[in-house]
Amino acid sequence: MLTIYHWEPNANSGKPILAAFEKGVDFESRYIDMLAFEQHAPEYLKVNPNGTVPAMVHDGVLVPESTVMMEYIDGTFPGPRLRPDDPFERWRMRWWCRYFDQVVGPSISMFGWSFFVGPAMRQRDPEELKARIARIPLKERRIAWSKAIYGTFTPEEMAESGRRIAAGVAQLEAALGERPWVAGDSYSIADIAGFNMFAGLPLMNPQVANDSATPHLMEWLRRINERPAIRRSFALGRTELVRRHAHLDRTGPAHA
Amino acid sequence: MLELYHWEPNGSWLKPLIALYEKELPFRSRYVDVLALEQYQPGFLQAARETQIPLEGEGPVLIDQGRQITESLFITEYLEDAYPARPLRPPEPLLQARILASGRFINEVLMPAVSTLGCRAYLVPALQGGARTALATHLERMPVAYIREGWRSALNNDYPAELLEDSRRKITLAVTRLEEALGGGPWLVGASFTLADVDAFAICNSLPGLTPDLVNAAATPRLWHWLKRIRSRPAVGRALACGRGGHPEQAFAPGPEHSRWG
Repeated sequence: MLTIYHWEPNANSGKPILAAFEKGVDFESRYIDMLAFEQHAPEYLKVNPNGTVPAMVHDGVLVPESTVMMEYIDGTFPGPRLRPDDPFERWRMRWWCRYFDQVVGPSISMFGWSFFVGPAMRQRDPEELKARIARIPLKERRIAWSKAIYGTFTPEEMAESGRRIAAGVAQLEAALGERPWVAGDSYSIADIAGFNMFAGLPLMNPQVANDSATPHLMEWLRRINERPAIRRSFALGRTELVRRHAHLDRTGPAHA
Repeated sequence: MLELYHWEPNGSWLKPLIALYEKELPFRSRYVDVLALEQYQPGFLQAARETQIPLEGEGPVLIDQGRQITESLFITEYLEDAYPARPLRPPEPLLQARILASGRFINEVLMPAVSTLGCRAYLVPALQGGARTALATHLERMPVAYIREGWRSALNNDYPAELLEDSRRKITLAVTRLEEALGGGPWLVGASFTLADVDAFAICNSLPGLTPDLVNAAATPRLWHWLKRIRSRPAVGRALACGRGGHPEQAFAPGPEHSRWG
């Protein structure tokens, strides 16, 4: 029995969901509302003591880290391979996953939190927010949530994140000019990780990701967006977030 | 033939050396004097698409059939994928997942912290005379910003107090986790010596000297004996003998970036 605890089917939560759908693996979906702080509630901390989302439990055993969950799903279940057999391409897949997870991802989510999560949070009762932050188990996450909620990212931090996003886009555009998928000739978990990170970028930072500046990146996003696994994942969302994919529809409005 | 570009057998440079000797893979050793900034000299390896962006600071490069492979843990994973004989990775997907997750924590939390304290303790005093002048002239030409800033901090010895304090906090957290993980058996993941041990050992081997109050026989007995157990492996002994300075555990150059926020 495979259970995935997730928020909206994008970013980190989208990774194990998409890997499971690509493989045709059945799983139980448990929606964790991060804006209601369900990830820091005692019931959830029993499942994942770190209080991070997503979490994945297979036959009673917790599998850590969203990128690692995808490797685990691919290594455990039958179905189409999501990791290249060629050792060099597999190394490249891991390089890109680390680059996305540790360099580009945190920069993109700084923008996402500043413009989406922070303003929504500041509508709430200040005392309640203080109490919510206090019970976050990891110090790093406590600092991150507090910065996002109170909007205290400095202009320098935002500018640095902007530079890293632009550098990440340039690096990916160049790679996709050389081969069809991030790691090589086949679709892999590095594509899933990259898509989850970059899908909203043409809307959020259109000056960085667009058809004239980054044609390969845009085509790659559209190709992935057409995959049945992506379409199925939308059904697991409960907010407007999934509508952000409309800009990738080839038949949709050119630019919403 | 495999070629490994490496400096002293410590930290990121130590991991692939251990894996190569454990797996008994013949390789050509290309010693790079990182302190003399040989990696920035004209004629040094021309970086490829991915390897032009190092994600763990100064580190080793493996060359296999003309292709560059970087990031120390991923080099050892590559060696398992390409040369599966004498495995250092168990076949079970769950154990493989735990090795990768352990590696993420080591890379993101422990490595930057040990690198900061190690550079301050050993790199700062090593930057005297000619080494100092050479670094000052090379600094502006270093292409990767966080590595350049790492060298600059060592040159100026101006590590902020909060960074040093946060580094000790991260080392304490990691050491506590490792001590707990070793409560279940002699190795970090599963019943045998794996890439997770190679990965963590390469970073922890300097800690008895660097932070003796945090890692010692009384405070962290399991970690202490695990370090001794690993050092006594013949392959690890051969890897540790690849150095030229006599104290590989004191060889530090700027490592991975501290994560910018949660």
